[in-house]
This record gives sequence, structure tokens and C-alpha cells, in this order.
Amino acid sequence: MTTPKAPPSVAPIADRGYAHPEVLVSTDWVADHLDDPAVRLVESDEDVLLYDIGHVPGAVKVDWVADLNDPVIRDYLDRVRFEQLLRSNGIGDDTTVVFYGDRNNWWATYAFWVFRLFGMGRLAVMDGGRARWEEEGRPLVSAVPSYIGGDVRVGERQDRAIRAFREDVLGHVAAQKPLVDVRSPEEYRGERLHMPDYPNEGALRGGHIPGAASVPWARAVNPETHTFRPASELEAIYQQEQGLGRDDDVIAYCRIGERSSHTWFVLTYLLGFAQVRNYDGSWTEWGNSVRAPIERP
Amino acid sequence: MDREARIALLVDHAQRPRHAGPLADADVRVPGGNPGCGDLITVYLKVEPGGDRLAAASFEGAGCTISQGSTSLLLNRLNKDHPTLGELLDSSYDEMIDFLGRDVVGSRLSCATLALGTIKAGVRRLLTDRRLRAAGKSEEEIRRLRSALEEYAHPASGVPRAAGAEDA
Repeated sequence: MTTPKAPPSVAPIADRGYAHPEVLVSTDWVADHLDDPAVRLVESDEDVLLYDIGHVPGAVKVDWVADLNDPVIRDYLDRVRFEQLLRSNGIGDDTTVVFYGDRNNWWATYAFWVFRLFGMGRLAVMDGGRARWEEEGRPLVSAVPSYIGGDVRVGERQDRAIRAFREDVLGHVAAQKPLVDVRSPEEYRGERLHMPDYPNEGALRGGHIPGAASVPWARAVNPETHTFRPASELEAIYQQEQGLGRDDDVIAYCRIGERSSHTWFVLTYLLGFAQVRNYDGSWTEWGNSVRAPIERP
Repeated sequence: MDREARIALLVDHAQRPRHAGPLADADVRVPGGNPGCGDLITVYLKVEPGGDRLAAASFEGAGCTISQGSTSLLLNRLNKDHPTLGELLDSSYDEMIDFLGRDVVGSRLSCATLALGTIKAGVRRLLTDRRLRAAGKSEEEIRRLRSALEEYAHPASGVPRAAGAEDA
């Protein structure tokens, strides 16, 4: 068995100039808090079997399909189900929840975003995600922990502040407010949406929402370290290159809202933008909507 | 087999895929996948000469444990059973899901059925090619028709056209 090459070291989170560094924790921090009863590690992955193969000791799994979605309509779980999810994973009012996952934490930031819809504080993301933890040679276990559920209660889901709907986006287009398309350049340009003969998970039309800037989500991550780029590099991408401002009313979108939750996280917490919303309907709604305006280069 | 054993089997096949790599003299090579989530496979199928039964199948791919493990598992079964092309087309997605374990793959059905869907697409292509050859079309003509059909269904513009639609 080969030992993975250790990833390059990175500057401490506190030294990277983030607006809200408290939402990020390092793998070292997680390693030091594995037995901390006030911390609950939550793994959220694209590859749903990764958790079963091995996870950070003590971590629970939250799957975006099985745990965060309403089982019938296209929406998120309601307050009652969310409280059940928290209790079943031993998350109480005073628990600090730390998300991590594969794919540079895209489902981790998605879970973070859904938890925030319910007003949950004390949330953080493990910088570098599962990839960095593995490459550092840290332990992974298959034992599924069991936690005693507390009596946690949350308020009703509040979507408006950080979630955008189709009507909001139409208003954004009309007002020429900033939109960020975080999909791949090929998706942005409206080239092939999916492979021939494969079930269409995409849309009937290709292209992008008029006026949207193309900033693929993964640009916010250093591919060698798997960690978020420092604020100065993020500012160069989003503010200097794209001309976005911290006070702009920004909507980010992708295909189903998972990649754009990553960009929402970056803009809101790492750069300190005041008003960013994630359009989770994204291209699977927009590209199928009758008469929704579309732009193609 | 319990859930843990089914997961172990999928993981084993994902990490040590059987029937991996291109198949020499394949009758059809067909891609499948979803670039959006990164699961991609290319399946190679070879049919018994002059026959209607699968002789061999292989694949190349990258993606999640379920998409890659299930492809390896399915090809393992096909290379043992050598089903007919009709049997392949009649294969049930539900049966595939049950074979893998609904409790294991239930939240990722598109990953779990990627291999079967791609294989069915390959069989349909193979049968179409046979009909075109029987109608006297040359390999070059078939290639051009194939290319035009793919562009028609999945144009570079990203706008799939409805069957029967006319070009402006």
C-alpha cells in the first residue's frame, strides 16, 4: 500500500486575511478536537460510500439526497425533520458542527448552507476537506458512532436571506445586478450538457443567465493544498477580475446549487460580502423554464 | 449478503476494476456519464461473430465508488453469462439496483445505473449499424450518419432538437 504524498503546508487560517476566519478550521484543529464532546464532525460527500469506507473518527454522515432534501418535492427538509436530523446525530444547541467532504468540500459547504437556512450558528468547515486529511496520513475509521440526541430546537427555515428563487433571478437580470455562474466554462458557453444516451440530469437548453459572470467554483481552492486560497487571491478573482463589490447584491448558481454553495461560502465568509444568495434551482430549473432568458456567447 | 458486505464488494470492484481497459476489436465503443458530477465511463462491447450474443465487454472510467464499482460488477456478470443483445436491452434497471443493494445505492440511482444505461446505448448503436449495413450503407456512410445523428440530438449549441424538427 502506498502512502499518499503529504500536501504542502499552508499559512494559518488566521493569517490569510479572511473576513470571518471563525468558519474555517484546520485539519490540525480537528485532530485536536476528535474527542471534544462539544464538537460534531459531519462528513458530506458526492461519493456516498466514502463515509462507509472510512471517515474521520467520530464523524457522522449527512447526505444531501437522503438527509437534506424533502423526500417528495424539490425543496429542503422542514424544521421538524431538521430537528430530528440534529438529534439523531447528537447535535445540540451548544454543539460546534464542523463539515468536511470530498470534492473540495462542495457538499460540506452545501450542508453548511442548509444548516444556516435554519439559523444554526457554531458552524465551520474543515479547510482542505477529506482530501487533505487523507493526504496528511491521518486516521480514518469505519466504526459508525452513536450519539445521544439532545433536545435541540430550531426556528422555521428562513430562506430569503441566503437562498434565491427563479423570480429573484429574473429580477436580478432585469436590474442588471451581479450573477455568478460557477459551472465549468463548457456549461457556461452552452456546449454539450451531458453525454449522449445518458439520462438527462441537465436541462433542455444550454447557456447561461444573461449578464452572469463565469467564475468556476474550484478557482477558490488551491488544488495542491486543497485549502481555500488566501483572501488576497480570492479578491483578485472576484473583485479585481470580475468587478464584484462587498456591498453588491450577488446571486450564485450552478446546476443544482451545490457548487454555488461553495462560492456563496467564499464570498460571504472569506471575503465578507454582505448580500450573497445561492440559487439552488440553478440551471436544472432555469434551463428547463419556458421563456427564461438565456445568453450564449 | 448484508449491507456491509455489499459495500465491501462495490469498493473492491471500484478499487480493483475487473475487465478494465479497451477491448481489442470491439464492435462498439460507447461513452456514458455525467460530466456534472464527474462520473464517466466508456464501454467496449464485442459480439460473437455473426451471432446475437455478447462475447466480451470491458470499460474505462473515472468517478465515484458506486459508478465505477457497479460497472465492474456488471461487466463481470456479463462476461460470465454472455447474454443475448435482446436480453441486454430487456435488462431491468430495478434489478440492477436490487443486485447492488437498494440500501447502498438508493440515494445515487444515476450512478448505479450508469453502466447498464451505457451498455444498452451501445447495443442499440450496434443494432442500428447492422440495419444500416444490411441496407447497403458503407462504413464511411454509417460513420457520417452517426455523427450527424449525434449532432442532431446533442448539438454543440446545447439545444437538443425534438424528433422530427426541421432545421431552419
